[in-house]
Amino acid sequence: MTLFIQQLFNGLALGGVYCLAAIGLTLVFGVLRIPNLAHGALYMLGAYVTYFFLATLGVPYLAAIGIAALVLFVVGVGLERLVFHPLRNSPHTHHMIAAVGAMFFFQSLAQVIWGADFRRMDTPITGSLHILGAEISAQRIVIIITAVVVLALLTWFIKRSIHGQTIEAIEQDRTGAALVGINPSMVSMLTLGLSALLATIAAGLVSPINLLSPTMGDALNLKVFAIIILGGLGSLPGAIIGGFALAIAETMTSTYISSAVGEAVAFIVLVAVLAIRPTGLFTKAVQR
Amino acid sequence: MISVSRNRSRRLLAAAVVGTFALSLAACGGGGDSGSGDSVVIGYTGPLSGGGAAYGENVKMGLEMAVDDLNADGVEIDGNPVTIELKSLDDKYAPSTAASNAQRLADQDEAPVVVSPNAGAIKAIQQINSGRSNFLVSAYTSDPAIVQADNPLTMMIPPNFESYAKPFTEQAMEHGGKKLALLGTQSEYGQQWTKAITDEWKASDGEVGADNSVDYATVSDFAGPVSKALAEKPDAMFVGGPSQPTALIMEEARKQGFERSFIVMDQAKLNEMATVTDIENLTKSVGVLPVDEYEDPGTEDFLTKFADKAGEDKVATSETALNYQGVAIIAKAMELAGSTDDPEKIRGSIGDALAEVDDKYKVTGFPTEITDQGHLLNQELEVAYLDEDEKYNKVPVEQVSDTK
Repeated sequence: MTLFIQQLFNGLALGGVYCLAAIGLTLVFGVLRIPNLAHGALYMLGAYVTYFFLATLGVPYLAAIGIAALVLFVVGVGLERLVFHPLRNSPHTHHMIAAVGAMFFFQSLAQVIWGADFRRMDTPITGSLHILGAEISAQRIVIIITAVVVLALLTWFIKRSIHGQTIEAIEQDRTGAALVGINPSMVSMLTLGLSALLATIAAGLVSPINLLSPTMGDALNLKVFAIIILGGLGSLPGAIIGGFALAIAETMTSTYISSAVGEAVAFIVLVAVLAIRPTGLFTKAVQR
Repeated sequence: MISVSRNRSRRLLAAAVVGTFALSLAACGGGGDSGSGDSVVIGYTGPLSGGGAAYGENVKMGLEMAVDDLNADGVEIDGNPVTIELKSLDDKYAPSTAASNAQRLADQDEAPVVVSPNAGAIKAIQQINSGRSNFLVSAYTSDPAIVQADNPLTMMIPPNFESYAKPFTEQAMEHGGKKLALLGTQSEYGQQWTKAITDEWKASDGEVGADNSVDYATVSDFAGPVSKALAEKPDAMFVGGPSQPTALIMEEARKQGFERSFIVMDQAKLNEMATVTDIENLTKSVGVLPVDEYEDPGTEDFLTKFADKAGEDKVATSETALNYQGVAIIAKAMELAGSTDDPEKIRGSIGDALAEVDDKYKVTGFPTEITDQGHLLNQELEVAYLDEDEKYNKVPVEQVSDTK
């Protein structure tokens, strides 16, 4: 039982990280209609920028994540302007190739600036909590709480604020939205910026329990794609539920079956969803 | 509009083609020079980008340091002073790329020696190094399959990893107990290690739990795998992959209340692990002896030079130190062979060269002999047990034979 509680909390913390990363990706898909393969690289860059503010400049931990998130928002906007916007009228494969190019660019950039070595990000949040006999580190509690808060703010932003509503409008009908005066170009920039911002928060939260390296985004990239396909491409609740479901499935299968199955579970789910219900759990995206 | 941009892109293409030509001509010129008498190229193919980049850079650092020192001392072959040049190519850890890089280094740069730090890549290179092109492969891997291949132009630098299984098991049983949990990495090398330790542990009447190996490179949170391994209530735990994630796993295990001993696979270096976690978390473990614990004649100077070059926050590991020694051995073998372009002669002179290498290049268990299959051996191999007082205790190793 203790093991179960322990793994449940580990799964929830991992789920929080997956969610934050997956939501950005699913938003970008909803608005720009492209699978942003550079998403993992933005996450990696977000981790390094957080590290820079925290370790090099000595900014407090949560503030460092916040500043890094803003920096990455600008990077995301730049990515949309310089890479995806010029390609808006070209075939879909061009976006994918460009995204892969951007991914390699960001990885090389990180290696040039910070080197190929693993780096460790220390946080002031130490210690652990005892919950029903399990030992949960404070960092994981922080991850879970922050993820929930950020998700709530995001939902409010998209459902209630005027800028957020434009995102949803464009997702639902690009032409219709343009006709009522929404600028699709602005919304595209906002969405990519937002997705980079969310990825940075995820990276900043998980970095203290993991290590920074220029390729740290690769493994996450594959998993978040599995999550948004499970949840339904472009669906916000799909990404949230998919993120937690996949993370818990991963930790539980690793615990009770084997680590190898745990690593593979994301892809088993991916294949199963594509075979049985290709639109995902929450059908939203319709290919136009 | 379209025709304009097409015109422009044609012009760009033309410029690019001309530019590439000019560059490659310049490169050929450079390559031709390096082959002529007064300089010799030592080739290196290793992972310089992607997931293995840190490892590849560590190896490269050792090669660069050796080349700089040797050139400063002056290398004389057949009475003529010769400059050694290092040429590095990135193979991203892919054996096929490594083989074509090696071929390129041998053909274009006339490198008599190519260094590779990856067992898979070395196996691929061994297919091409003694046929149409001839070059010596300086192999930085502890996989004995490299010397079992009976390749006439191979020099294997580190000890055979199978030699570690016995002393590691003895130490972990003495300080921990009879029950072992397996939490190694899922790489091919990691799996070989897991098997070697499992066999040895069982042969010593120990109990081995389930194989909990995880891929150290892709797991986002080590808490889950660690909780699972600890649920077996082990007395000892086998861990190991790259140093930094291994350190995190051990830290997590200590946090979750594990107090017994660790067996640390040779890929992870205890001194490097101490840079990412408190050394207190690493105590009661057996692993390879860190470079800075050696007392060879050149160790101290080497560490000073390393700190100058790499900065204070990096620690020297055997990847850097053993390859530093390796290049010094090759340079001496060239001098004795009186040749920079006959790999067979160079390989034949390595045995004699070992006795003549200057003391300053002896930094970390300098070898005293080379086997017929090309394995450098140091009879006084030692491993380290890091005790509760954070002190390294040296434990002698009886080396196993390379033959199966």
